[in-house]
Amino acid sequence: MNIILLRWLRWLALAFVLCTLTVLLYGCIVPGGGYGYDDGGGIGGAYYEPFGFDYGGWGPDYQVAPYRGGDHRPASGGGHASAHAYRSAPASHSMPSIPSHSRSGGSRSRSGGSRSR
Amino acid sequence: MASIKCIYCNFVGTIEKQGITFDGKASDIPISRSFKHKGHYPFLRQVFLVILLGIACAMPVMAAQIQLPAIVEPASQEHHVGKLIFVELVTPDIAVAKKFYAGLFGWTFRDIQDGETKYAEAFLDGHPVAGLIHKNVPASQHRQPAWLSFFAVGDVDAAKNVALQNGAKILFEPHSIPNRGREAVFADPQGAVFAVLASSNGDPPDVLAAPGEWIWISLITSDPETNAAFYQTLFDYEVFELPSSAGAQHLLLASDNYARASVNTLPADRPNAHPHWLNYIRVKDTVKMTAKVVALGGRVLVKPRIDRHGGKVAVVADPFGAPFGLLEWPDTESKEVTK
Repeated sequence: MNIILLRWLRWLALAFVLCTLTVLLYGCIVPGGGYGYDDGGGIGGAYYEPFGFDYGGWGPDYQVAPYRGGDHRPASGGGHASAHAYRSAPASHSMPSIPSHSRSGGSRSRSGGSRSR
Repeated sequence: MASIKCIYCNFVGTIEKQGITFDGKASDIPISRSFKHKGHYPFLRQVFLVILLGIACAMPVMAAQIQLPAIVEPASQEHHVGKLIFVELVTPDIAVAKKFYAGLFGWTFRDIQDGETKYAEAFLDGHPVAGLIHKNVPASQHRQPAWLSFFAVGDVDAAKNVALQNGAKILFEPHSIPNRGREAVFADPQGAVFAVLASSNGDPPDVLAAPGEWIWISLITSDPETNAAFYQTLFDYEVFELPSSAGAQHLLLASDNYARASVNTLPADRPNAHPHWLNYIRVKDTVKMTAKVVALGGRVLVKPRIDRHGGKVAVVADPFGAPFGLLEWPDTESKEVTK
């Protein structure tokens, strides 16, 4: 076989190997295909959940929202160094709520907490 | 006929075939290593291959460099670690999704396309509220879209280390997106998926969400206590216990003296339930909005119900099944609480 052709083939083989390695390396750096997740076109991620997952079933006492204003912290809640996996907020800290002032202005007061950091 | 040998490739040929003229007897020419045979351009060949390799190496990186708008315009100096600052939805039909959310909340969209990637930035009154990414889902995969929640952090790589040391899994390594910032995606120890974002332009201010904007987020999980500890370690939250019925646990996560999220036990006897974050959009009338969701092709997953703040909450899904919550929150300050 022509020696020139052989040399071209050698270069092309080298280029192919390098391209393959690059693709594989990139695949390792940006792992897609995890649980409920894969590459979102390179701009972040594509988050999916398996079809048929159940989002309902909330019983009558099931509540998710924050309180509005005031201090609704149960007397027994907080301050226990305790038996929880987490650290409870100090008992002196009142139950916070979400911001109460709008983007356009208004009061800057915080609706829930009574302390400042 | 004199033979010549190429200095670069040892090709042995004849001067006649190489088009070399020689004034004299061809037989006088000794075999030489100083010729370059016809059509042999090693420099150009190497340049060509380097360019080829450069393009091949740069393609994956170039694909990741789509220009996305910042989540805060103009830039702010605010930073609120642990705050929900952005959400993204991957959807198999971005046109249908845009029509649904535009009809429901009045969102407007700015399309951004880079190659095959279609992205739509959603706005409400000029403020960015969400990002929609188009991606086909093969029918065989049996997947449904879900909103991905982005929490503010100051240092994504440091957050990654903390998350992994505390039992999380990395789903998308830290990576930078021009204008947007640096982000990464994780599954927490119970499997709920979330993202962190160090925004290039700072974080959105702590203000009351307008109707049509994201106002709240809750984690529905199999182990609220362990999960609360995980997120407390990651985001330095304060954790407050909330009243709950037997067998359930409701917690509230706070930072900067603001409530940021709730943590709730997965409803019992739901074998197909799984830990997940659920985002809520502020609405003025939950009942009317759930009816609108259905009219636009969505579904109601949890019917409107009074929650602890005194307003109604519902959980719905868009036409492709992506779940989200609707939460009433009156403008006026109120001390009245329905318990």
